[in-house]
Amino acid sequence: MMRLDPQSVADSSTDVADGDPLDGYARRSRTSPIRRLLLLLAPVIGVVGFLAIWQLSIVIFDIKKFVLPSPWNILGGIKSDPMFYVRNARTTVWESFLGFTIAFLLAMLGATIMALSKFAERAILPLAVLLQVTPLIAYAPAIVIWQGFGLKPILIMTSLVCFVPFLINGVLGLRSVDPNLLELARSVDASRREEFFRLRLPSALPSLFSAGRIAVGLALIGSVLGEFFSGSTGGLGYSVKTAQAHSLTLQLWGSVFVLAFVGAAATMLIIGLERITLQWHSSQRP
Amino acid sequence: MIGNTGVSPNGPRAMMTHPTTDAPSPVGTNEPLVSISGVSKLFSRRGRTVEALRDVDLTIGDGEFVSLLGPSGCGKSTLLRIIGGLQTADRGTVSVGGGDVQHARAAKQYGLVPQAPALLPWKTVADNVRFLTSLHRRRGSEQVMNDAEIQELLVTVGLAGFERSYPHELSGGMQQRVSLVRAFAVGAPILLMDEPFAALDEITRADMRYLLLDLWSRTHATVVFVTHSVTEAAILSDRVVVMAARPGRVAAERTIELPRPRTPEMEDEPNFHEQVRRLRADLREHHA
Repeated sequence: MMRLDPQSVADSSTDVADGDPLDGYARRSRTSPIRRLLLLLAPVIGVVGFLAIWQLSIVIFDIKKFVLPSPWNILGGIKSDPMFYVRNARTTVWESFLGFTIAFLLAMLGATIMALSKFAERAILPLAVLLQVTPLIAYAPAIVIWQGFGLKPILIMTSLVCFVPFLINGVLGLRSVDPNLLELARSVDASRREEFFRLRLPSALPSLFSAGRIAVGLALIGSVLGEFFSGSTGGLGYSVKTAQAHSLTLQLWGSVFVLAFVGAAATMLIIGLERITLQWHSSQRP
Repeated sequence: MIGNTGVSPNGPRAMMTHPTTDAPSPVGTNEPLVSISGVSKLFSRRGRTVEALRDVDLTIGDGEFVSLLGPSGCGKSTLLRIIGGLQTADRGTVSVGGGDVQHARAAKQYGLVPQAPALLPWKTVADNVRFLTSLHRRRGSEQVMNDAEIQELLVTVGLAGFERSYPHELSGGMQQRVSLVRAFAVGAPILLMDEPFAALDEITRADMRYLLLDLWSRTHATVVFVTHSVTEAAILSDRVVVMAARPGRVAAERTIELPRPRTPEMEDEPNFHEQVRRLRADLREHHA
């Protein structure tokens, strides 16, 4: 894909020639197939290793199933009624997705205004910080009292927790555009609209993807918390709450496992999208 | 040449049609294209006022290659930006083709080459060189180059085959060549270059000078070139405006008496050394 001109070929060859001869050796061994396979499998080894230690500890210390079940038991619990978890996961994912999207859209609107006006930035930023530092769990009941039971308070809570990362990163991203590029656009009298959509927004994408990765986890927290407080009759948060009330340890842990799986899958989806969209960005290069 | 862009027949566009004759030298008609008179500019930073420019008078002819040469802080970049309508003068007037600079900017009379290549990292070389013209086209402009003309420029600067590469795959010199082609592709009659080769190594820099001259000879555009390199100013320019600092002002103007086309061999000739010597003397004399 990449073509080299004679000059950069010359540059890279001098790099090797100048360096310690051992460097070349180290570089070769680092990319050996076994090492590459190990690096590829490292995340799986980490997770499986953790679960194995957990499983082993249960056996060694003889911990009772209703106190702390083993991963094997938990997975068995999920397998015994998969539709229960699928149904509840669907509810939670939908709530999280809606909250995430609402937060993104509102934050982009706010970030655009803040990026263009120093006054707006100074006026909005303290509110954003307050929103971020006040624990959602503290004012969640207040939202339910104000908005009543149902989907609405859940979406408000989910959007609130996702809003700040998108806002802060959005402002940062929209401002990160190369000033030389802005000047170039001005030199041909480009409109502010063109400046925004063709320069600022693409420049903001790396920051927005970072925010997206943070917000995925927060969206799940927001919707689970919403389900705790808003009298829901579905969702993984609801399932956790009822499990606690009836001492159904396996269902509790099963819901947590499914939540972890959903969060990991969503994060991977965002990372995949980022890889495709940001091929040009330095963060995506080895 | 007068498009439906709201430019009056007496506006800049009408005044700045490109010469179509195959003149032996790319030096144009030398009718005044840019007239600067009594331009002053003050900057205030943390309570301190700096006189960036004081009473600058300068006339630049159509098709002329003029360099603004001087030490850091002599206001040469500021003057360039005032000509381009990117900054406003506190006092004095700048007219471009008889109209004001904002009018000229709105009529797309400028091609800018900044010091950094400033390429869009998410676009290929081919899309980068068309970026400014794509901002352009929507408002109807006939001067922008067509694909064949742009391709010819890419071949000239040795970027043929790199059209689908991304900026991060190119060396610094290659990126700056893309930036040069991008400015020429606008088809603007006035090219403003703000130390475009300053960040390049000496060897690449020497090549870039002749690439620039090659591109320029094809377009007959007027070039205002900011530099702090005496030899660069001498080998490129028809005329060098020597500037001095504190306050930023025009210290001297020198016509470079070297035939065109300029060649690397000329840099070894006594006549070239004489031009350089005169410019150095001017710089020394006015060095504050």
